[in-house]
Amino acid sequence: MGDSELVVNGRATALASVPEDERLLDTLRWRLGLRGTKEGCRSGDCGACVVLVDGRSTLSCLTLTHELPGASVTTIESISEDPVGRVVQDAFVAEGAVQCGYCTPGFVVALTGLLKELPPSAPLPELLDEMQGNLCRCTGYGSIVRAIVRAREATR
Amino acid sequence: MGFTLVAPDQPKEACALLARSAPGEISVLAGGTDVLPDVEAGRVRPSRLLSLRRLPWRTLGWNGGSLTIGSTLPLREIEADPGVRERIPGLAQAVHAVGSLALRHRATLGGNLGRAAPTSDLLPILLTLDAVVNLVGVDASRSVPVDQFVVASRSTTLRPGELIASITIPEARPSQYVWQRVRPSNDISQVGVAAARASRPPYWRIALGGVVPRSIRLEGAERLLPAVRPLVSELEAAAALAARLAPFATDKRASEAYRRQLVGILVRRAVASISPPIVPPVGVA
Ligand SMILES: Cc1cc2nc3c(=O)[nH]c(=O)nc-3n(C[C@H](O)[C@H](O)[C@H](O)COP(=O)(O)OP(=O)(O)OC[C@H]3O[C@@H](n4cnc5c(N)ncnc54)[C@H](O)[C@@H]3O)c2cc1C
Ligand code: FES
Ligand code: FES
Repeated sequence: MGDSELVVNGRATALASVPEDERLLDTLRWRLGLRGTKEGCRSGDCGACVVLVDGRSTLSCLTLTHELPGASVTTIESISEDPVGRVVQDAFVAEGAVQCGYCTPGFVVALTGLLKELPPSAPLPELLDEMQGNLCRCTGYGSIVRAIVRAREATR
Repeated sequence: MGFTLVAPDQPKEACALLARSAPGEISVLAGGTDVLPDVEAGRVRPSRLLSLRRLPWRTLGWNGGSLTIGSTLPLREIEADPGVRERIPGLAQAVHAVGSLALRHRATLGGNLGRAAPTSDLLPILLTLDAVVNLVGVDASRSVPVDQFVVASRSTTLRPGELIASITIPEARPSQYVWQRVRPSNDISQVGVAAARASRPPYWRIALGGVVPRSIRLEGAERLLPAVRPLVSELEAAAALAARLAPFATDKRASEAYRRQLVGILVRRAVASISPPIVPPVGVA
């Protein structure tokens, strides 16, 4: 894999066809048809657009695609192929942590990245603190917090 | 948005590109968390962005008690560094206060300084640590103390063709950063207070964010504190002075009166948390 491409969900994507001023969010949704990643605010405030870049949660609305040559991007569409991602999805389902669902891909991807970034010994308050960049206007967060607790237990 | 991207791999080349460009024609892109929203909103209209991603500045290194952080290192890597957490806790706390985790995976210290926002969560702690900003230009490099680097709101001493290469913190200090916001994450601090304890006078450093036009040290309040653990009365006096003198204003985030109320509490909290323990007199168990 060279500097002229980006790997999205395991598939190489040539950068040559992407305009230099395009944001990763737009490349994913409109060029690659990966509409699971959502645009909530386009200003970094809501977390709906979070994807993993080389495993780290990243705001795709504030990242230029051309800034990521050679990187590996994981979106909600392939998160279930990651064992931790699978556990997180299952936890959201088990807790019914979804109402309209618009925020859900961002939460699932962000939590997957976080569980892999922090050591298993990380205390729950730290996990909840680091998840505050994701907003939900429906659930009131109770079910989402339960899903975070459940996913944490299942990955320890 | 309509710009192209250029990503040189040599600092001199980057500086030369900047120096050759007409004002407003080119913007520097580090993490992009300030500059991309600016471009989107039309506050700047560059035809080119100069990306720093290939420059060798994603570094963090200790030299004895001194720490140098490359300007393009993502903020997350600063707060995750065990040495930073242990030896300069206030810096880790201040970095952690910025935005959200996903934002800090890309946003940088160089970008925060380049932006020079009066609401920056990083400027107050850098002031209390006597941080030095290391700049490179086309012909020469120079180092500027952070209190001289930021001259006003969103205004720095960067000359045309200059870039921030790194930031040096000359001495690891017991330090603390505390802040108040409406929402804990992804919100801008109404007031931020940094405190640090230095090895030589003035022993206490206290600096503020959320003030106009730029973050400042509160030297008057610092002078009211002794080298040893402050008495409650001394702490109260320093906090009261901070509340009286701090250059606050009213804006959409908070009123001036509210900020004055807050700052006293935050100064007390920050200083108390890093006060040295009381040494028992000889003979007392
Ligand atoms: C949702 C959101 C929340 C935020 N929350 C906070 C917060 O809580 N606290 C806070 O302090 N900030 C906050 N910010 C502001 C921002 O994230 C920080 O200022 C960040 O550190 C900027 O870094 P960057 O690398 O993204 O900068 P960029 O956007 O890449 O650059 C910012 C400016 O600095 C210049 N610049 C960048 N690097 C250099 C360099 N090496 N040399 C010279 N000039 C340079 C650029 O030209 C530009 O003008 C927030 C922003 C958003 C969008
Ligand atoms: S769309 Fe990116 S943070 Fe809201
Ligand atoms: S479920 Fe609707 S925004 Fe979260």
